[in-house]
Amino acid sequence: MERAAPFSTLRRRLRIVTLLGALLALLGGYTVIERAAPAEARIVRVAEFLADCPYSHRLPDDPIIFPGLPGASHMHSFFGATTTNAYTNLSDLLNSNTTCNPRVDVSSYWVPTFYADNVPVEPAIVTFYYLGEGVRSDIVANTQPLPLGLRIVAGNARATAPDSTTNSRWSCLHAGHVGASKDFVNCPSGTMIESYLDFPQCWNGRDLDSPDHKSHMAYPVNQACPSSHPVAVPKLRQVLRYPVSGNPARFRLASGAGFTMHGDFFNAWPEAEMMRRVRDCIRPVIKCGADGRPS
Amino acid sequence: MRPTAGIPATAALLVVVLLAGGCAAPPASAPGTPTGAPAVAGQSATPAGTPSASGPFNGTDIAWLQLTVAMHERVLPLLELVPERTAQPDVRRLAAQVRDTSRTELDRSRRLLDRSGAPKTNPHEGHDMPGMVTAAELTALGAAPDAEFRRLFGRHLRAHLEQSVRVASAEQRSGADPDTTTLAGTIARTGNAYLAELTELQP
Repeated sequence: MERAAPFSTLRRRLRIVTLLGALLALLGGYTVIERAAPAEARIVRVAEFLADCPYSHRLPDDPIIFPGLPGASHMHSFFGATTTNAYTNLSDLLNSNTTCNPRVDVSSYWVPTFYADNVPVEPAIVTFYYLGEGVRSDIVANTQPLPLGLRIVAGNARATAPDSTTNSRWSCLHAGHVGASKDFVNCPSGTMIESYLDFPQCWNGRDLDSPDHKSHMAYPVNQACPSSHPVAVPKLRQVLRYPVSGNPARFRLASGAGFTMHGDFFNAWPEAEMMRRVRDCIRPVIKCGADGRPS
Repeated sequence: MRPTAGIPATAALLVVVLLAGGCAAPPASAPGTPTGAPAVAGQSATPAGTPSASGPFNGTDIAWLQLTVAMHERVLPLLELVPERTAQPDVRRLAAQVRDTSRTELDRSRRLLDRSGAPKTNPHEGHDMPGMVTAAELTALGAAPDAEFRRLFGRHLRAHLEQSVRVASAEQRSGADPDTTTLAGTIARTGNAYLAELTELQP
């Protein structure tokens, strides 16, 4: 149930799948999902691997948008690599420590800092899912690894209102009935407000970044990557759980309202580790854990 | 002799040395250039449809120009409020000087940004950015009585100038385009001079 599924419909479907699984387990002693062969009885047919990367540090820096300009940005909360600042480049990341499980992920991830009553709040649970979904199954089967050094920015930090381009969502952990929203939601006491953000997964095959930091990547159209961005890579889904609930009037992000949620990703997975996970988890549609093995 | 332990350690050291060497490779690059350069100039061609920025501009130049345009656009309405909100001659004179300088610097920044070919999007729209007066603060200023106005104005102008000097100094260190780093030098210098005047006016 803790899988990377943001919307209530998906949740419902998951609940049904889980129920079915439990029933099958009772009946046959197997957890068979879809048409898994008996030999693969415990394999879950979801194309996924993940990294859990707790909070590392805060700085008003952004090495993608404001490289070389410390103090030029609104406040960011960093996850993964522990040294990221305005000057960070790929070799800095490759030599950095990380907060991630697995430790091989020395990528840097950052988001605008979340404030409740003007006090910074850092997420208690930070998970980055890498998924083979959103494109047709034949495209998933041909997913390419995220290239080393790739930079991706998702979400619209400059949004002035929630609109059709808002792709971040807020919801409540353990309170699915509240539903997902483009802006902060009022979560029942004892639950956590959570943010979901999917990154674009179609790469132009050439550039590790672009002048506007967006145009080298694209979202799929009709379950396929557009011809301008033909290379399907794993879809990064950022899931942050903040240990706060209640009236969202108390909440803001360093970039503004809830719909300005955005995420920055600087890929520093060692190429062999990324490749292994794409080959063993994404392409064959197998749910893997942080170690990149079936979970 | 422990060859089995020694070889991996040597190999690891070699990897580190190679990585460090690769990063520092271009002797011409200033600190920070490796960070900025790939964004526009290095590694690969710019995407189709994006104006080429393959000139001497690096990522720091472009980020700083975009930021400088945004900061100057934001401070001008603050400066333009002064004549109608206060009769104090020294404050009016300083505001007029900073306004004229800001207009010139804004114009130079825009022209350099044009030459860089970078997108003119303002990455800071609606943000709670250091040194930038917010729309709500401007509204409050527009209604404040003279003494209160001068106090708030001094605070906002100081925040703007301090942030301008901070990022201009970083651009001087990490930028690549000579015209852009020269402009950064000018902005840092005038910013410091205005800060000194402001301190004399409002210690």
